[in-house]
Amino acid sequence: MENVQSQSAQTRYDKGNLIARSSNQRSGAMKSDEPNPMADELAHLMMQVANNRCKRSFASLFSHFAPKINSFGVQRLSQQGLAMDLVQETMARVWTKAHLYNADKAAVSTWVFTIMRNQCFDMLRKVQHNREDAFGDDIWPLFESDDAENNEEDFLLSANLLQHVEDLPPLQRQVVQGIYMQELTQQELADKLNIPIGTVKSRLRLGLEKLKSFMEKHYD
Amino acid sequence: MINYHPDQHLLSLHAKGELPLSMSIAISAHAELCSHCRQQLNQMTIALSEQEFEQQQTVAEQFDDAGLSGLLDQFMSSTLDNLDTEPTPQPQVVDNTVTIKGEQYALPRVFRKQINASWQGIGKVSRLRLDTGEPQARASLLHIAANGEIPEHTHKGAELTLLLAGEFSDCYNTYKPGDFMLLDQAHQHSPKTTEGCLCYTIVDAPLYFTKGFSKLLNPIGDLLY
Repeated sequence: MENVQSQSAQTRYDKGNLIARSSNQRSGAMKSDEPNPMADELAHLMMQVANNRCKRSFASLFSHFAPKINSFGVQRLSQQGLAMDLVQETMARVWTKAHLYNADKAAVSTWVFTIMRNQCFDMLRKVQHNREDAFGDDIWPLFESDDAENNEEDFLLSANLLQHVEDLPPLQRQVVQGIYMQELTQQELADKLNIPIGTVKSRLRLGLEKLKSFMEKHYD
Repeated sequence: MINYHPDQHLLSLHAKGELPLSMSIAISAHAELCSHCRQQLNQMTIALSEQEFEQQQTVAEQFDDAGLSGLLDQFMSSTLDNLDTEPTPQPQVVDNTVTIKGEQYALPRVFRKQINASWQGIGKVSRLRLDTGEPQARASLLHIAANGEIPEHTHKGAELTLLLAGEFSDCYNTYKPGDFMLLDQAHQHSPKTTEGCLCYTIVDAPLYFTKGFSKLLNPIGDLLY
């Protein structure tokens, strides 16, 4: 019976695969302090999503969590449409916040649970009090990287900085990229570009000054 | 040393996300000050997540019934790509301090969206109403300046006081920052402070904020249909 169900769910993207495997493992009595292969599998999938933006892994996470989020939502929100919204919002956050997940802080299940609960709290307020405010993430600290917010800012800042590197004049850009992204020494770069090291230094200085002024203008 | 804590029942409702906003703010602020309760909440959250997400499932068949296949297809074909190209919102730096009568206080993070309102008050007692959108409960930050007191009063419903800074005492005890006091209508008290204090308070219609959503709004369908 179970096989038939997971077969039919297993159309594309390995749907149901994880569910079938996890229930096999769970069929024996499993104590919580034993190694938990399902948790390891989820952590692996999460890393694939975070580091490689792997959609296949996301689909497996979706297959595992979506039905459970859906039944949580049906209980809590009493309306099928809203439960689907909860699934959609929660899984969208799993995708966009994947880089903040920290395996040292919590199991994937716990992290996804907090995202779901916080989202559900905000949805309930919308339904009950017609409030569009989002308090969930302020009330419950997420099990994320130590200074998740700072990381997020750094991450954004680097993204912005990279954008500005693209805007530099080509000769300066070449030097900035060589030193900071390919991590060449000034001498290596000079040899590679076949220019004197003094020229590398002066282009680098001009480039960095320009970047600094971009950043000050936009982020002061 | 914090001596007064929310009870297990409140902590567990909070971990489930079933308390109204005003009360969730109080528990969250208390937990930021109290490592003991923070730890308990973490454990409850882990237990809840295991219960929701790791128990044996018979959900394979739900996948298609609930339209989840369609949602997954949508995610794979467009939603994920759209999410990646959406501009990331600029992080907001929110100042988490309030200043009242020349005293500046750093507040727990849960207050950061709410403290733009203005203080009102007479004499030594000032109040900043927080707009939680709940008609049944009034939540505020309450500041009592040094040597101030609140006249003796009783409560129609319950009254929650969470001391955030300073000290105060009433006929029962002396309280320290982090102390979480939930009094019902049977109690009378008149808090006094010598050095001044800042509290978070909720006053409510009878027994509103100590019950979970499920009991209060059963069925919440009443509001939906």
